Amino acid sequence: MTVRSRHILKDFESALELLRANVLMMASLTDRSLQNAMTCLLDRQSRNGALTIADEEEVDALEKTVDGQGINILLRFQPVAFDLRQVISAMKLSGNLERIADQAVKIAERSQSLNRRPELEEVSALGPIFLEAITLFRDSIRAYGDNDVALARSILPRDKELDEMNRQITRDLTSCMSSNPSRITDYVHLLFIARYMERIGDHAKNIGEDAVYAAEAKDIRHPTNVLVS
Amino acid sequence: MINSSSTSKPAMEDSTSAPESRKPVSNAPEAANPAPAFRSRNLSIFYSNKPAIKDVTLDVPSRKVTAIIGPSGCGKSTFLRALNRMHELVPHTRVEGEVLFEGQNLYAPNLDPTLVRRRIGMVFQKSNPFPTMSIADNVLVGLRLNGVRNRKVLNERLEKSLRQAALWDEVKHDLGKPGISLSGGQQQRLCIARAIAVEPEVLLMDEPASALDPIATMKVEELIRELCAKYTIVIVTHNMQQASRVSDYTAFFFLGNLVEFDGTDRLFSNPKERQTEDYITGRFG
Repeated sequence: MTVRSRHILKDFESALELLRANVLMMASLTDRSLQNAMTCLLDRQSRNGALTIADEEEVDALEKTVDGQGINILLRFQPVAFDLRQVISAMKLSGNLERIADQAVKIAERSQSLNRRPELEEVSALGPIFLEAITLFRDSIRAYGDNDVALARSILPRDKELDEMNRQITRDLTSCMSSNPSRITDYVHLLFIARYMERIGDHAKNIGEDAVYAAEAKDIRHPTNVLVS
Repeated sequence: MINSSSTSKPAMEDSTSAPESRKPVSNAPEAANPAPAFRSRNLSIFYSNKPAIKDVTLDVPSRKVTAIIGPSGCGKSTFLRALNRMHELVPHTRVEGEVLFEGQNLYAPNLDPTLVRRRIGMVFQKSNPFPTMSIADNVLVGLRLNGVRNRKVLNERLEKSLRQAALWDEVKHDLGKPGISLSGGQQQRLCIARAIAVEPEVLLMDEPASALDPIATMKVEELIRELCAKYTIVIVTHNMQQASRVSDYTAFFFLGNLVEFDGTDRLFSNPKERQTEDYITGRFG
């Protein structure tokens, strides 16, 4: 990782540091929301689901703060090169983090509904998917925080594995619906939760792409799209 | 310090090494590989044996805007002036290497520098209209010195030059007024009109907007973008936002060395050299 000397303008340096700190704070809150949503689902801890829902407002507020700070830096300092990429990627990251926190809230809400019903054996099948989604998310944040391009690039293939896990659980839950129609509403909840986890992986992939852009100025999105030069 | 000739690729040596130019302002198709107007080869210039620029090898693309940036004393103005031998006005100057202008060595012993300067116009930091001359006479002075006397030709060239300099509409009813009666921004555009009246092939600009207010600066920048369809423009500027707005290519000089030369979009988004990044991001020194 390249160590950069400090900027001549202390205000600029401080503004960049504050922006980065707020993004990492958002990531930390989002991580906590995901963990609480996971225990709400897997351990039937509905109170933790309530914590996830409560944290959402703070994440939303931080998203607006990060965007405002980014716009302010662009206006005041007209950054270029690495600095510009830091601002652009921070603003894009905040959007992805807010969406991940949204997914956590949706998982928590559906988990709370499930927790009001008799325990369902198939819930535990979502554990590995949840774990993989959270790991992807954490790695994407670590890649961004450490400018770790290799880690960031590893997220794309792992997201495809998560997609495959989601397809498998969808098939399993669909067959459960036909064999146990009395719990069809609960299985629908589980199908949606699996879908939210898959979306978390997509956002982690986006963050990984932004981390590569921030570190190397390379746009690795949509590698197979022939319309993308 | 990284040696310029080893790190900076000449812009137009081959299609694979040419840096990316920004998209043209108009929708006209961009020439795939414009020929260089200037080729400096291992150019060094000394003032009283002190090197101002060292071993600079750089191709200046034709009909494009090339910005030269760098801290004070880095040699950017010296390089600019070397392109029309203006630096020779400083006593005790010595040149090594060569500058080819459309294939001809500007420093060939039998070459008359005044002939060079007719083909390569220059605009300076401070607008300098001739104080005793009218607006029209300021524009036409170069043509008259070249012996043009035909009234019709002079009138046509006067209007054309002022139109190209985006000044015609503002002064067409006041052509007899003194040039120095204009505002600072108008005076600078008058100087640009004077420079292009003799129909040079190149315009060299040494911080042409540094003494202007933001609106006048934007007018000069817009003019530069319009003029580059017809002229090769080389601009020295301390204003990096200006360099990124108006130029297609940018060269970064430091301590007399050419550190990096690339397409402006690339140099300002992902410079190759650490020194360039430190300078443009304000982490210098």
